[in-house]
Amino acid sequence: MLSDVTMGQFFPGKSVMHRLDPRIKMCLTVYFIVLIFCSKNFVTLGATILMSLLGVVLSKVPLKLYLKSMKPILFIVVFTGVLNLFYGTGDPIFTLGFIHITRNGIVNSIMIAVRIVVLILISSILTFTTSPTQLTDAIERLLKPLALLHVPVHEFAMMMTIALRFVPTLLEETEKIMAAQKARGADMESGGLMQRIKALIPVLIPLFVSAFRRAFDLATAMESRCYHGGEGRTKMKVLHLSKVDYITLIVCVLYLAAFITANILLPAAIVR
Amino acid sequence: MAFIECRDLHFSYSEESGEVLHGVDLDIEKGSFVALLGHNGCGKSTMAKLFNGMLVPTSGTVTVDGIDTAMEETQLDVRRRVGLVQQNPDNQLVAGIVEEDVAFGPENLGIEPAEIRRRVDAALKAVNMYEYRDHAPHKLSGGQKQRVAIAGVIAMETMCIVLDEPTAMLDPRGRQEVMDTIRYLNREKGITVILITHYMDEAVQADRVVVMDGGNILTDGDPRTVFAQVELLKRHKLDVPQATELIYRLNAAGCRISGTPLDEDECVKAIAEYLKLG
Repeated sequence: MLSDVTMGQFFPGKSVMHRLDPRIKMCLTVYFIVLIFCSKNFVTLGATILMSLLGVVLSKVPLKLYLKSMKPILFIVVFTGVLNLFYGTGDPIFTLGFIHITRNGIVNSIMIAVRIVVLILISSILTFTTSPTQLTDAIERLLKPLALLHVPVHEFAMMMTIALRFVPTLLEETEKIMAAQKARGADMESGGLMQRIKALIPVLIPLFVSAFRRAFDLATAMESRCYHGGEGRTKMKVLHLSKVDYITLIVCVLYLAAFITANILLPAAIVR
Repeated sequence: MAFIECRDLHFSYSEESGEVLHGVDLDIEKGSFVALLGHNGCGKSTMAKLFNGMLVPTSGTVTVDGIDTAMEETQLDVRRRVGLVQQNPDNQLVAGIVEEDVAFGPENLGIEPAEIRRRVDAALKAVNMYEYRDHAPHKLSGGQKQRVAIAGVIAMETMCIVLDEPTAMLDPRGRQEVMDTIRYLNREKGITVILITHYMDEAVQADRVVVMDGGNILTDGDPRTVFAQVELLKRHKLDVPQATELIYRLNAAGCRISGTPLDEDECVKAIAEYLKLG
C-alpha cells in the first residue's frame, strides 16, 4: 500500500527529454515557470503553453499520466480561479448583490488557472523524465558556486541521495511494524483523529529506533569505503552537454527574445 | 611479514564497560581464507572493525601491509586495503542504483571517471551482478544486496575483505550465493578473506579457523585440526560441524571411527569404511 508511492514519479525512457542534461532540464523548468507568470497577453501565454506541450510530446510519457498528476491540484486551480473572479477591477459586467464580476476579473481568473496548470505540467516533465539520482547530481553541480560561500553543497546532495535511497526501505519497514503491532492487537483503523494519532506511536517509536541503527551501520559502511566528505571526490558519471542540449538552449534563447518582444508590443490582456 | 599483524591487542569501548579483547596476537597471511568463530560478545565483531581502523586498539598494535591503523594520516590507505562488509544488507548501500553504489568507494578515492567505470564493471562481473547494474537496491534479494556490497568493496581494489556475519540475515539460497562469491574471490582473484561467522558449515570452507572465546584466541589452525578438538570446543559451549558431531557421538557410544569428517560426504565415507571393516 505505502510502497505504491513512487518517489519523484520517474518513468524511465529514451526520449529526447530523457536524454537532455538534467542541469539544462532544471534550468529550463525554472525558465518556463518564470515565462508563464510573466506573460501579459494571450499570445505569449498561448505560445508558452504550446512550448510546454511540445515538451510533453517530446517526453513520450503517456498524456494520461500527466492528467493524473493534475488531479490533486484540481481543487486549488478551481478555488484560486473562482476567488480571482471576484477581485477584478474596472466596470462590472455582472452584479449580484455585493458581487461584481468584471472583464478583468474573468481574464485574471482564467490566466491564473491556466498558469497553475502549466506550472504543474512543466514540473511533471522534469520529474517524469529525470531520475532522482540525476536530479541530485544536477542540484549539486548547479549549486557548486555556493560552496565558495561555505554552503555545504556536497553534504546537502549526499543527504538527498541517502534519503532517496532509504525511502523505500523505511516504507517497507513501516508496513512490517504496522503488521507486527496489528498482530499484537493494535487498532489503527477506528476511533477519532486523536485516537488514531495515538495509535501511530507504537509504530513510530520502533521505526525511529531502527532508523538510528541503520544510520550507524551506514556511517560505518561509508567510512569503511573511504568516505571523507566532498573533498577530492570524483564522479563516475560526468555530466556533459551534447548536441541536443545546445540546440535546446539556442531554441530557448531565441524564444526568450520573441517572448519579450511580443510581451512589450502586444497589448496586455488585463487593462489597467 | 604477514599482511595483517595484531600484536598484544587490548580493546575496551569505554572505561566502565571493561575490556573486550585481552591481548590478542594474530597474523593474517596474504591470500588466505580465515574464518573467525566464537560466541556473541566474544570480541569477533570488534576484531572486524579493528582490522580496517574503524576502531583503534586501546593498547597494542594492528598493522595492515606495514601501516599502523592507529595513524590518522594513513587511515585511507588502510581502508583501501581492507574492506568491510557488514551483516545487514539493507544498511550498507548508499546510492539508489546498483552501479552508482559500487562506484561510491572509487569516487571517494578520487579516481578518474573512465577508470571508475572499468572497476565498477569488473567488480559487478566478479560478483555476478553485472546484469543488475541499473536496478534499485531495494528491489534485490538479500543475497544479491550482499553481493553488491562485496562489489562495492572490491571496486576499491582492496587486497582483503573482512565480512562480519554476512549471511546471518539471508535465506539458504542467499547464503550459498554469498559463500560462492567469497570463495571465487579468494581462489581466483587472490583476495584475502576474513569471514566472521556463526555457521560451522561456512567455517569448514576456510583454509584456517580461528576460534575466539571471552576476548582471547582459544584455538587456531586448519579446520580439521580445530574441529578435531571437540572436547575443548564443547567445554566452551561452541558448536562443531554436524558431521563431526555425529562421529564424536558414535565414538562416545563405543564405535571406533577414525578421522575428523567435516561434511556429509566425508562422514558417509568414514561410516561406510567403519562398517566394512566391522
